[in-house]
Amino acid sequence: MNIFFRELKANFKSLLIWGVIVILFNTMGFAKFTAYYENPELIEVLNGMPPAMLAAFNMNAFNLTTISGFFGVMITFFGLLLSISAVMWGSDIISKEERDKTVEFSLTLPVRRSNIVTAKTLAALVNSIALLGITWGITLVSVSKYQPDGDFYNFLTLGMLALFIVQIVFLAVGIFLGCAMKQHKRASSTAVFLLLGTYFLSIISGMSENLEFLKYFSPFKYFDPAMLLHESKIDLTFVWLSVGIIAVSMIGAYVTYSKRDLYI
Amino acid sequence: MNIYKHEFKMKINSVIIWSLGVALMVFIYLSIFSSIEIDAKLFNEMMSSFPEEFLIAFGMTDIDMSTILGFFGLIFLFIQICLAIQAANYGFSLVSVEETDLTADFLLAKPVGRTKIMTSKLLAALTGLTITNLVLWISSFVFLGMYSDGGQFETKPVVYLLLSVAVFQLFFLTVGMLISLLVKRVRSVTPYSMALVFGLYVLNAFGGMIGEDKLEIISPFKHFEPNYILKHAAYDLPLAWISVAAIVISVVGSYVLYSRRNIRSAV
Repeated sequence: MNIFFRELKANFKSLLIWGVIVILFNTMGFAKFTAYYENPELIEVLNGMPPAMLAAFNMNAFNLTTISGFFGVMITFFGLLLSISAVMWGSDIISKEERDKTVEFSLTLPVRRSNIVTAKTLAALVNSIALLGITWGITLVSVSKYQPDGDFYNFLTLGMLALFIVQIVFLAVGIFLGCAMKQHKRASSTAVFLLLGTYFLSIISGMSENLEFLKYFSPFKYFDPAMLLHESKIDLTFVWLSVGIIAVSMIGAYVTYSKRDLYI
Repeated sequence: MNIYKHEFKMKINSVIIWSLGVALMVFIYLSIFSSIEIDAKLFNEMMSSFPEEFLIAFGMTDIDMSTILGFFGLIFLFIQICLAIQAANYGFSLVSVEETDLTADFLLAKPVGRTKIMTSKLLAALTGLTITNLVLWISSFVFLGMYSDGGQFETKPVVYLLLSVAVFQLFFLTVGMLISLLVKRVRSVTPYSMALVFGLYVLNAFGGMIGEDKLEIISPFKHFEPNYILKHAAYDLPLAWISVAAIVISVVGSYVLYSRRNIRSAV
């Protein structure tokens, strides 16, 4: 329990910084939205197009003149921000002990290594949830002046749920890397490689139908904002896939960390 | 010279990994081009029926995915992100690594001035970045030749685009270095470089997606937009100068700050 609180305190500043980034990004985004909100020219353009084309380009989902459509675009960027923070916290929280040369101290405490991993994971989890809470809160504040309807709030809740799952996937992968990497410096750089790789994959997989299978490899593609908005449901296949990744990473983390030869 | 050699030796592994990564990315992306080519023709046809203002609003004016160069412009953005992270990593760690590893007292006790230490380190990092840059040049031309129709493509825009890479790398290297000297202590490099690179990337991507905003002019992703360079075979000069100015300011600032820095030592 002490480790948990110690970690929360140590990461508080980082949480604050991320919170400020998310808030800045959100206000900046919605400042742009004012130019699009029920913009008559844009609506005219959209109305002038054949419905088939709108469907082909997902423009229904991303109709930027409505608050839901706009948020559908924003949510991708939120996903990127939140997953960077999660993978960073995850990979850092374990490996920093070795970097800061405090690992000898923390491992001589009368707690098992698995307890340390649990406490640290929980602390990182609380941080991630707090950041998601900040995102949710600031979005609610930003949209309130457009008086969105119930559909939007459903969409927002589903979107936040999807973001949460993506966050946890990256957090678990980060923690696994932090536990498993023999050289502590590798943990965060590998995490970055993974994050970039999956982000790029998510972009390629959207380009062509032939490459759609790639979406299984990229958590960024697990939850399609268009589907969240129009069908109000989350694709269960991907929920199970996420749960699988999280479980495998966490088990891997406990197993490797308890056998780990530490760098002193 | 010893410092330069030592620094370079420390970096060479990372340089090789990044270079291979970049070459692999160029290869993978260009090799999937043939499979999206047909879709892309359709995409272009549809796009041409959209009104002009609409395309501007979505930042889709310069995109032409049906030619290999247009596609290269699209994927070059991802290569830029990678290059930026590499350069920012080197920049942030350049002098701060001595303090994190507690080797600063050893290094500064040597009979060389701080300016000289800084110069050697900068040159070593630059050499590493240039190697990556060269690998990018070679792999771009090889794979563009391999995957374009009959090996024919316009070389001039590609040369312009690849020439911009050096300035792009320098921006992140020097700005990273300056920031690392402005803060008290850099514990871990990656969060800093991620924040810098993705901050500027999101700033530009989001700004480009929805209309005008003045904020994105500080982003080098805007200064060296691949689509713009490929289409016009020229740089957006006023914007490119912002990058150059940032580099000059950062270098000068770093030298001043480092020569007066209070170094945290082991004891």
